[in-house]
Amino acid sequence: MRVVVAEDLFLLREGITRLLQAHGCDIAAAVGDGPALIQALLSERPDVAIVDVRLPPTFTDEGLRAALQARRQVPGLPVLVLSQYVEQLYARELLADRAGGVGYLLKDRVFTDDQFVDVLRTVAKGGTVMDPEVVAALLARHSRDAPIARLTERERDVLTLMAEGRSNTAIAQQLFVSEKAVSKHCTSIFAKLDLPPSESDNRRVLAVLNS
Amino acid sequence: MAPDSAGQKVGGPGHSRGVPVEDTLPQALSEGRHLPTTSGGDAPYLAGWDHAHCFGHDERTTMDHMNRLLTSLPVPVPRRLRDAGWGVLLVPVALLIVAIFGRGVPLAVTAALAAAATLVVPAVAADLVATGVMFLGLYATFLTGWMILMFFQVIGNDYYTLYSGRGLLAMNAYSDWFITSIGSGVVRDVMTSALIMAFGVWLVPRTIGVHAGLVQRNAALTSRVTRLAETRGTAVDSAAAELRRLERDLHDGAQARLVALGINLRAAEHLFKTNPDAALALVAESRVSSALALAELRALVRGIHPPVLADRGLADAIRALALGSPVPAEADIQLPGDPPAPVESAVYFAVAEVLANAVKHSGAGHVHIRIAYQAGMLRVEVTDDGHGGADPAQGTGLAGVERRMSTFDGIVAVSSPPGGPTIIVIEVPCALSLPKICSS
Repeated sequence: MRVVVAEDLFLLREGITRLLQAHGCDIAAAVGDGPALIQALLSERPDVAIVDVRLPPTFTDEGLRAALQARRQVPGLPVLVLSQYVEQLYARELLADRAGGVGYLLKDRVFTDDQFVDVLRTVAKGGTVMDPEVVAALLARHSRDAPIARLTERERDVLTLMAEGRSNTAIAQQLFVSEKAVSKHCTSIFAKLDLPPSESDNRRVLAVLNS
Repeated sequence: MAPDSAGQKVGGPGHSRGVPVEDTLPQALSEGRHLPTTSGGDAPYLAGWDHAHCFGHDERTTMDHMNRLLTSLPVPVPRRLRDAGWGVLLVPVALLIVAIFGRGVPLAVTAALAAAATLVVPAVAADLVATGVMFLGLYATFLTGWMILMFFQVIGNDYYTLYSGRGLLAMNAYSDWFITSIGSGVVRDVMTSALIMAFGVWLVPRTIGVHAGLVQRNAALTSRVTRLAETRGTAVDSAAAELRRLERDLHDGAQARLVALGINLRAAEHLFKTNPDAALALVAESRVSSALALAELRALVRGIHPPVLADRGLADAIRALALGSPVPAEADIQLPGDPPAPVESAVYFAVAEVLANAVKHSGAGHVHIRIAYQAGMLRVEVTDDGHGGADPAQGTGLAGVERRMSTFDGIVAVSSPPGGPTIIVIEVPCALSLPKICSS
């Protein structure tokens, strides 16, 4: 898997690079600012990019902008955005093109490296992964009269894990239930949310997040 | 907040308690001077202000002028004269006339002093004019009365009867007197007194106007200075309190966790060879601890300056706030540019507080945030469809918002009749800069 890493803090960039190399990834480029990131994304065409939201020269949301710009030119270019904080606004912007291959995580999720690399692979394959914080805020938001309110506690757990990009197998392991039970929950969730069952999980999660 | 000293106004126009303040928000609203809103949401407004609490001063009409006056001291002489009204120049003119007629050195000196006073202290000059003209008027009245007496004395004396031979009822008596006594100084004196009277009648209302204007301006300046001292005091206090809170949070939170982290890692170092399992457990615990420290720091940073505000400015920060709200919130923001960073931050936290209040207390199912800018005024309007009854006097939330905004001469108005809806309007004067980033 060829990865472009964009992170302005040298130590963190080196840390992520080393972590990824330890997991057998190939680092195509490791850059430290927005313009270099766009160039690397467009010239290297990596399997996935890991992008910090805040990058020089503006130290605002340069990384996010660069990622969105690159995705406009190369639709579906897989990008995993990392940040010290997660914002629903940014999550929406990343999901807006509905092309998949998007991840948005808090930086400290890198600590659990196995899960992090799993997430990276999911994104590289075109999946959608949102930080549990984004998902939690989303579920809390529709607490009153939205369709999500009709979900049971267990169904919410399943939906949360699904939005975090886990496979049915991983969800089953996490919740200590059988895979069959998970897929039953999924069917129930989609029915309650009026989502067509024919779409892929990725699409359906997107629909929920965008609602 | 001391309600009276802050000019709190309760119950809309006409029910003022404390200092009567012109041009408060409900008044501005009822006179239709508020910003045009995008939808036809005006009707509940005007109805709602019957129950309105409006607190904070609104001196914005005089404020610009005051700012100019305050920032440009010492004021150049022509400017002072313009501020006092050019009418005060009549003081030295009048006194010069007196000096010429009086032909006395002391009078000339007085005139020169008065001229100097006019240029340096227009307010004193205005008083001088009023006093001077009053005395001149008195003098002229006495003079005229005396002249009239003299007139009858003239037509009644021997000199007159001798030449006319007709007595008091003679038809040509007036013209005869006029002709015979011209140049005697009597006519000249009568005309002078009449002129002075006319001048006085013309001048007194004008000097009174000048004086009143100056007094009003002085009062406005004094109240402005008091207000600024007050808001500066609260701003400094709340900044200090905020810093203390940050220090405490850091000390008890992230800092403590980092210390624990260091201790754990040190212990793990020792255990690696003798008891690798225990060491591993300690390292795992350290990892969790570092994540918690990060989460605490993140929350702290949000409280200091929200990252989206830094990244994208006010409009997107408020949109993010609306998106993150547990009660569905809608943001309708029309800003042609960015307010100054301190105003931006104050408005952001004010909206955050108002939104949090709506979520916690109103029982609302929907919140609408509207932000617009017109004529140097940033206007924020947060409406919720909850059960109303929000009282700024109870709880610290809205009072805190008012305090925050008052540092920027902003005002906060609350309309929350029982049964709702609650409408909270924040207005703050500011200039907009060009947008940092054009939204893509």
